[in-house]
Amino acid sequence: MRLAWGPAEESFRDELSAFLDEHAPLEASVRYDFATAEGSDGSIPAWSRTWQATLFDHGWMIPGYPRDLGGRDATPVQTLVYLEEMAARGVSRSLHFPGYAIVAPSLLEFGTEAQRALVPAAIRGDTVWCIGMSEPNAGSDLAGLSTRAELDGDSFVVNGQKVWTSYATIAEKCCLYVRTDPAAPKHKGISLLIVDMDTPGVEVRPLRHINGAADFAEVFFTDVRIPAENLVGSLNDGWRLTQGSLAHERSGLWVEGVARLEHGVTGLIDLARECGVSDDPNVRRRIAEMYARASSLRALGYKGLASPDSGRMSPEHTYMKLASSEATSALFELGMDIQGAYGPVTDAVRGAEHGRWPLGFLITFANTIAGGSSEIQRNIIAQRVLGLPRT
Amino acid sequence: MDFSPSDDQVLLRDSIRALLAAECTPAVLRAHMSDLPAATPLWSHLGDFAALGVGPTVDLCIVMEELGYVAAPSPFFASACLAAPVLAAIGDPCLDEILAGTTTGTLALAGSDGMWRANSDSHKTFVPDAASADMVVVIGGGVGGADGGNCTVATQIADDARRITTLDSTRPLYNVECATGTPIGTIDPDALDAIIERATVALAAELVGTARRLLDMSLAYAKERVQFGVAIGSFQAIQHKLVDMSLDVERAWSAVYFAAMTLAAADAPDESDGSASRLDCKRAVHVAKATAGIAAKHCAKDGIQIHGGIGFTWEHDLHLFIRRAYASEALLGTTNWHHEQLGDLLF
Ligand SMILES: Cc1cc2nc3c(=O)[nH]c(=O)nc-3n(C[C@H](O)[C@H](O)[C@H](O)COP(=O)(O)OP(=O)(O)OC[C@H]3O[C@@H](n4cnc5c(N)ncnc54)[C@H](O)[C@@H]3O)c2cc1C
Repeated sequence: MRLAWGPAEESFRDELSAFLDEHAPLEASVRYDFATAEGSDGSIPAWSRTWQATLFDHGWMIPGYPRDLGGRDATPVQTLVYLEEMAARGVSRSLHFPGYAIVAPSLLEFGTEAQRALVPAAIRGDTVWCIGMSEPNAGSDLAGLSTRAELDGDSFVVNGQKVWTSYATIAEKCCLYVRTDPAAPKHKGISLLIVDMDTPGVEVRPLRHINGAADFAEVFFTDVRIPAENLVGSLNDGWRLTQGSLAHERSGLWVEGVARLEHGVTGLIDLARECGVSDDPNVRRRIAEMYARASSLRALGYKGLASPDSGRMSPEHTYMKLASSEATSALFELGMDIQGAYGPVTDAVRGAEHGRWPLGFLITFANTIAGGSSEIQRNIIAQRVLGLPRT
Repeated sequence: MDFSPSDDQVLLRDSIRALLAAECTPAVLRAHMSDLPAATPLWSHLGDFAALGVGPTVDLCIVMEELGYVAAPSPFFASACLAAPVLAAIGDPCLDEILAGTTTGTLALAGSDGMWRANSDSHKTFVPDAASADMVVVIGGGVGGADGGNCTVATQIADDARRITTLDSTRPLYNVECATGTPIGTIDPDALDAIIERATVALAAELVGTARRLLDMSLAYAKERVQFGVAIGSFQAIQHKLVDMSLDVERAWSAVYFAAMTLAAADAPDESDGSASRLDCKRAVHVAKATAGIAAKHCAKDGIQIHGGIGFTWEHDLHLFIRRAYASEALLGTTNWHHEQLGDLLF
């Protein structure tokens, strides 16, 4: 056990700081802790595209990757330093995470040479990806998915529907999970296909989030012909890949989750001052409780580093997803509470910070539902970490 | 002690429930978001109940509970629960039209701090339905003033009302500048407090209705949504959530009607209905609003969680009730505020 980072990490941090000072655009450090954009179409602004490409070209997009993949062969600990520094400054790498965070690692591990060639553009953000897992009848029970793909000569013919597909309205490509063997047990008949979103028969119908922004969609597939070489990994081996996807989604995210919480706690302190209740012992105690939640979670995240085998699920990752998502909801609700009668006010004149707290509160439910709900996380911990019997 | 409704009360509940099921669908709430007059036809029916504003408190709560269940966009709360009793207290002739539902009113009381207590602020906040009301009843200062501590009452038309946007659009709230009103009388601050207490219980009843709606929607969804080959309601994680939600709703419902009966007994003490002191009333009111606020927020949070992704969409109606729950919890004193007041009364 050791508290401080070593000199190699500190000089790495200095190098990163210098780069950020020089290149990070102002917009990238606007903290996206809630979506104000009622009625936004979810499109990606030009500054964000340029910024992601700049990070890639300087080896700062995914530091642990080699140069040609937008990295600099950083060690896992250096990667953590990187994530911390970015989070501390509130700088976001990208406004669309599926490409660099989920698709890239999956294709690198399981893809053919031609598929691996798609990775640099996915990380650089030149290609926008979406992930087609959930279906109307397959949410938590992902293995129950029924979108069908049948091999017909040298292509798959896909029919079915996905839902809640984030970024589908702007994505060029989709990692689509399909059923290729309906006769096999449900985990054994799933495959992963790469689908170009402009293929005939793909129809995207935008869905609006709880705050009105069109950030996800339903995607319908009608006799869509996908070249057989777009199969990722082996036929009917897709379930193993879903497990990988979710692990990738989770492994690095905890730093951002914790940073968002800590940033929120600072926001609560400012808010309490602004509302004239910073001397109220009850308000102080509740903010302090929230600080302790965030800070103990950061420590738990570091503990997870003892097994820094990133990309694989460690128990700490599941704990972190569960705890940080629930703490974030509680944090925004506390922000409403502190404002008393003004808690639910969202307008720019009367509401604190343009309704940051009430609007943010609604959005926090994305975290306790998407990517495996809190209930599913608890099931996983009960069974895989605590060794309790399955029901 | 008897919490069962009388035959007349059952009839009242059933008739308003049937009316609202037909006239106040989620489609009306959505239309009202961008077009306030979309809810005008609803008022043409609800106006018939406006006399309850000065009627039996339990009956008023029965109606408010049903209005909360459908998150009704309606001036009923502003006009019947807030404006009518003030006009009644000063014997203003406009009362008749308000009780007949042909005129609507609202009450401007809270000042910049958002607290519904006598104050001399001319900038009034959180005035419900001010822009559409035919008259705004304005409570002015006067505490410790020349006229023996009574508050001035004036009326005006809120042609400069500024909408305060909140999470919820079903009960529009406004800021109103109140310097120009026509004086119509004065009111004793204790009498004013009692009116606000009664309105608070009515709003708590409404919150219980909203909480019950969130519970009912979640319960129905847990029975119908199938994952892993079974209804999600078969998972104990989901069952326990629903049990805790229902406990909070049951508790809040009981606290609200206990408070309603307490206020009624204080107004008209008699042998069979018992009697209640001012302190009994205040405690019961704080318990009712705080407990209803907790129930509504709890049902909102666990309700969306039980719904999963579908509850996170704009297209699903759940968020309409989540929004109303949070907005009503903050109106006429948050749960925290009522707990604080209650604390002061216990020592
Ligand atoms: C903002 C947002 C973005 C999303 N983006 C994407 C995306 O890009 N691509 C994609 O494929 N999907 C996406 N999703 C879908 C998401 O992954 C699913 O919503 C999630 O897996 C839950 O599935 P469901 O919504 O069908 O809920 P359900 O599975 O129907 O769950 C309903 C309730 O039942 C509970 N439950 C289910 N099973 C169990 C159990 N065994 N034990 C206890 N409780 C249980 C759940 O916890 C929940 O409370 C997104 C969702 C959201 C909200």
